[in-house]
Amino acid sequence: MSKDIRPDEIPLSAPSSVPFPAEEFEAVEPPTSFLKDVWQAYRNNRMALGGALGVALLVFMAVFAPLLTPYGPFDIDLDVMTLPPSAAHWLGTDQFGRDLLTRILYGSRISLVIGIVPTLLSMAIGTTLGLVGGWYGGKIDYAIMRLADIVLAFPSVLLAMVVMYTLGASLFNLFIALAVVGWAGTSRVVRSQVISLREKEFVEACRAMGVKTPVILFRHILPNCLPSLIVLFTLGIPGAILSEASLSFLGVGAQPPTPSWGLIIVSGKEFLFSAPWIAIAPGVFILLTVLAFNFLGDGLRDAFDPYMKP
Amino acid sequence: MRKNWQLLCLTALCALLVLACGAWAGEKVLTVAYNEEPQTADGQMTTSCYMIPLNVYDRLLECATVGPGKSELVPGLAESWEISDDGKIYTFHIRKGVKFHSGEELTGKDVVYTFDRMLDPATKALNTDILDFVDGAAERMEGKADSTRGLELVDPYTVRITLKEPFVPFLSILASPQASILSEAFTRPLGDKYGLSPETTCGTGPFVLTEWVLNDHHTLAAFDDYWRGRSKLDRFVVKVVTDTETMRMLFESGEIDIFDCDFAISQIPYFLGHKAWKDQIVSGPRVGIYYFTFNQQIKPFDDVRVRKAFQMAVDRKKLLEKLYYDQGQLENGVMPAGLIHYNPGQTVIPYDPARAKALLAEAGYPDGVDLEIALIASASSQWQKMSEVVQAMVAPVGFRVTLVQMDEAAWYATRKEGKLPMYCQKWSADFNDPDNFFYTFFGSKGTVARSFNNISDEVFAALDRGRSELDFAKRGKLYADLEKTIVIDQAAWLPLFSLKHLYVTQPRVKTFVVPWNGWSDFSAYEMEVE
Amino acid sequence: MKKFILQRLIVSIPVLVGVTFLLFWLLNVVPGDPVALMMKEHISVDVVERVRQQMHLDDPAWVRYLRFLWGAVRGDLGESYKLKRPVADLILNAFPNTFLLAVAAALFAWIVGIPAGIVSAVRKYSLSDHFFMGFSLMGVSMPVFWSALLFQYLFAVKLGWLPVAGFNSWKCLVMPAVVLGWSSAGIVARLTRSSLLEVMRCDYIRTARAKGLLGVAVILRHGLKNAMLPVVTVMAIQVASLLAGAVITESVFNIPGVGRIAVGAIQARDMPLLQGAVLFETVLVIFGNLAADTLYAWLDPRIKFD
Repeated sequence: MSKDIRPDEIPLSAPSSVPFPAEEFEAVEPPTSFLKDVWQAYRNNRMALGGALGVALLVFMAVFAPLLTPYGPFDIDLDVMTLPPSAAHWLGTDQFGRDLLTRILYGSRISLVIGIVPTLLSMAIGTTLGLVGGWYGGKIDYAIMRLADIVLAFPSVLLAMVVMYTLGASLFNLFIALAVVGWAGTSRVVRSQVISLREKEFVEACRAMGVKTPVILFRHILPNCLPSLIVLFTLGIPGAILSEASLSFLGVGAQPPTPSWGLIIVSGKEFLFSAPWIAIAPGVFILLTVLAFNFLGDGLRDAFDPYMKP
Repeated sequence: MRKNWQLLCLTALCALLVLACGAWAGEKVLTVAYNEEPQTADGQMTTSCYMIPLNVYDRLLECATVGPGKSELVPGLAESWEISDDGKIYTFHIRKGVKFHSGEELTGKDVVYTFDRMLDPATKALNTDILDFVDGAAERMEGKADSTRGLELVDPYTVRITLKEPFVPFLSILASPQASILSEAFTRPLGDKYGLSPETTCGTGPFVLTEWVLNDHHTLAAFDDYWRGRSKLDRFVVKVVTDTETMRMLFESGEIDIFDCDFAISQIPYFLGHKAWKDQIVSGPRVGIYYFTFNQQIKPFDDVRVRKAFQMAVDRKKLLEKLYYDQGQLENGVMPAGLIHYNPGQTVIPYDPARAKALLAEAGYPDGVDLEIALIASASSQWQKMSEVVQAMVAPVGFRVTLVQMDEAAWYATRKEGKLPMYCQKWSADFNDPDNFFYTFFGSKGTVARSFNNISDEVFAALDRGRSELDFAKRGKLYADLEKTIVIDQAAWLPLFSLKHLYVTQPRVKTFVVPWNGWSDFSAYEMEVE
Repeated sequence: MKKFILQRLIVSIPVLVGVTFLLFWLLNVVPGDPVALMMKEHISVDVVERVRQQMHLDDPAWVRYLRFLWGAVRGDLGESYKLKRPVADLILNAFPNTFLLAVAAALFAWIVGIPAGIVSAVRKYSLSDHFFMGFSLMGVSMPVFWSALLFQYLFAVKLGWLPVAGFNSWKCLVMPAVVLGWSSAGIVARLTRSSLLEVMRCDYIRTARAKGLLGVAVILRHGLKNAMLPVVTVMAIQVASLLAGAVITESVFNIPGVGRIAVGAIQARDMPLLQGAVLFETVLVIFGNLAADTLYAWLDPRIKFD
């Protein structure tokens, strides 16, 4: 299927770092290292640099949250409910009198975790299954791919909801739900790459030398899939952050009083008329964060291989 | 200036709306929103969505609002009735000349059919509880009889209902929407398809169901031959809007006429303070009570001292003031204000964190104790807010509360088993009788099915006595004493408060009557619009 | 080609059975009782027990599943527990609304996404690249319910241009279509961009350029047609996934569609209705994929059915 990355596009060699079309017909440059090339391509992309900066800021917020604010994220004070932004409360207070900026700062931790953990989980599952299916082929492959078909055909929001109901609402179960929904895409990408790599000379050589299968898979084939995996990972994070927000909207995301951004919006949207900052501010943070990750991921893909299909 | 501008906008909007509904121009239409798809127009098949039954049908008796917080039973489809001295035989004289929407005339046959249908196992009705006391009801429900012994047609306009034991609340119950009267000729052939569409719905009420788009809206049109006279409204449109913010915006943009503040309690100060809305607020008392439960099957609430400590650890006044903006009054018993036999002199539960801490230590928890509050997962619900605030409030006393989120179906299923931890809920009267509160929560089955597990033979016996006590004063005393036993001695629950029910209306709504019990479901018969 | 389509359809049968089985199994593990939920606060244990029996809810799980499968095979999806109406009717009544929304949303996504992708490929790393890409990615970067909320507040309440919610005129369609469509415009833009870049490196474009033709014109004249190939085929998939993904948009804009039915059914533990809705959406996704593959193969002679 055309949706997957086509075998002939795998960046086995360094992609041209030269932006098209300026020097397309120039002589070939002296060989440089792959990473250096990637960095050069990345550096040219201002949007990607912006994305990287945004992500760095997010990490900074998450790490230093307690130092950046004098308040705690759970300090309920019913006497200062829904105050508008002021010098004491830069983004105002929420419906429980908690400082909104504080909750958003602490929320960046939740967002990072929600972005990274389920994405790693789903990629680990997807990569393993993709490697196995692609390498062995036959019935195993068929079974794995049909399973992937089932998951992909299942409306993802509904699947996540059902999984959350089954496991019960908690942050940890949310990771599992998002991983269960998300692994199938990765497994397809990895599988198609493995299938094309399987026939390459260096793999043939390994086999001829009697290298064990797991070693071939993880030492020789996996590294060749890394660029795609890195891109999938960076683009998976914003997806997971948004999914968490959607699930919060449906009542099965993170649970109060967790300061997850999605949850702050959901519980604050009632106040859109009387205290609009509660619902708007965390949404802006989600927007900027997700945008930053998207820019970062797009930039990376561009740098690795501009022809890669998302 | 700004006000003028807003007024202009509003007028323009209204004009647009009228233009948009060209077909309806000139008609008097009231549009409201409801947060749930009512599923069926059959009052026997639903226990929560009574908007359609209240408007499409009539009952033998009706409960009418006669003053703020006061209601009384008035004749409905029954012109008059007699009760035998032993309180077991009820004779109803059916009003003559009442027409169903299908054109047929109502007779006693329809009344007997309606109640027998409820008990018929083939109906799979959900509201059989209201007829439990009818003689022969059990046999009918178990399928051992083809009719119900206690339901008799004496002559075409006289119906006699015999109870197996005296049951004082019976009359009030017959005024509840569950007891809406159906047409036998219309209903019987439809079987279980009854009430699923306008074509399969028929009552005697002020409105005819004319249009029903699932998950979108249903339209009720005035019934020209209504026996009390045609409604002043031509149409009554109920939009089904599940998202409460959307509902709010529909109201703010003039697309619905009434906003029920129950869907956005936090917005009461906004409406009370807003230029355009503050004079548009209609409020009425609600015969209902907010409460926290204690599950005595789950530690630490097996110990009465811990329950008392929790009662004293919650600053109910502050909850009422901060979360409900003082729109109500504290309650200390089981019966809320507005209910018959309400006892305003009930012993007050004090807010006393120091004594609570001491009690907790006495019960063997000097270092505090862990407990759970179970919530239906929904970040913006009032229960969520209340529980979060209470969680913070009782922490200094030593209660370490964990909020457990469940989805609605799981929550109700767990509660039914008697295994749900502490939770917060409200109950509004279905009918005006203490039994509707006491028996619901503290009857031998209710106390388990609602996860109180307050197993007390003393209470169970008193509740049975209360149901058959015919003397009004004695009955009042019985319930007042029982209230003290349950709330103060046994500390079986924590009553919080009863609240007013606020609605905001568009200026074009001229008369809006808050129903006697303060429900969100109401009859639109007495409403008027410009 | 017929053989290819037939094969694909046969392969999708186990997928469909798998989806229903997975759903049934999961929902069977989930705590919850549809009858207790119907009664809510007016719970009566006796009534719940009786009605459960009457609805055959106490039968063993495998009996209920086989009953469902047997019905489905004969084209009977059963009756909703909660709404008491035939599942097929409920879904078919709601489907046109969802379909209209999905098509309108897809149109918006393409209108925004394709030009953005073209600009971004042709003028790589230029200001207009950043602007257009940024704009189409913005849609992907907002929670749908949040952008919907702001749209409603701004365009319906404050400006009064569009109705807040509902589904009775074309005006009602504008906001939901924009909100939902914007959320996938970024994906269309990315795809357009990478396809175009790929085409641009092909020999015939190089040749055209070598002949001295100017950059942008060449790309648009010769490249776009070929670059659109994968984009067009993805559209079929996209409409299908929008159909399934419209859950939140439908609930915020109060559109009586399939997504809302499905969510309501999960919440009510309404197994027949949920099975029906999911089965329906799965079939749509499968057909969307099949249509896309067939279309692709038909447009691109290099691909052969196998």
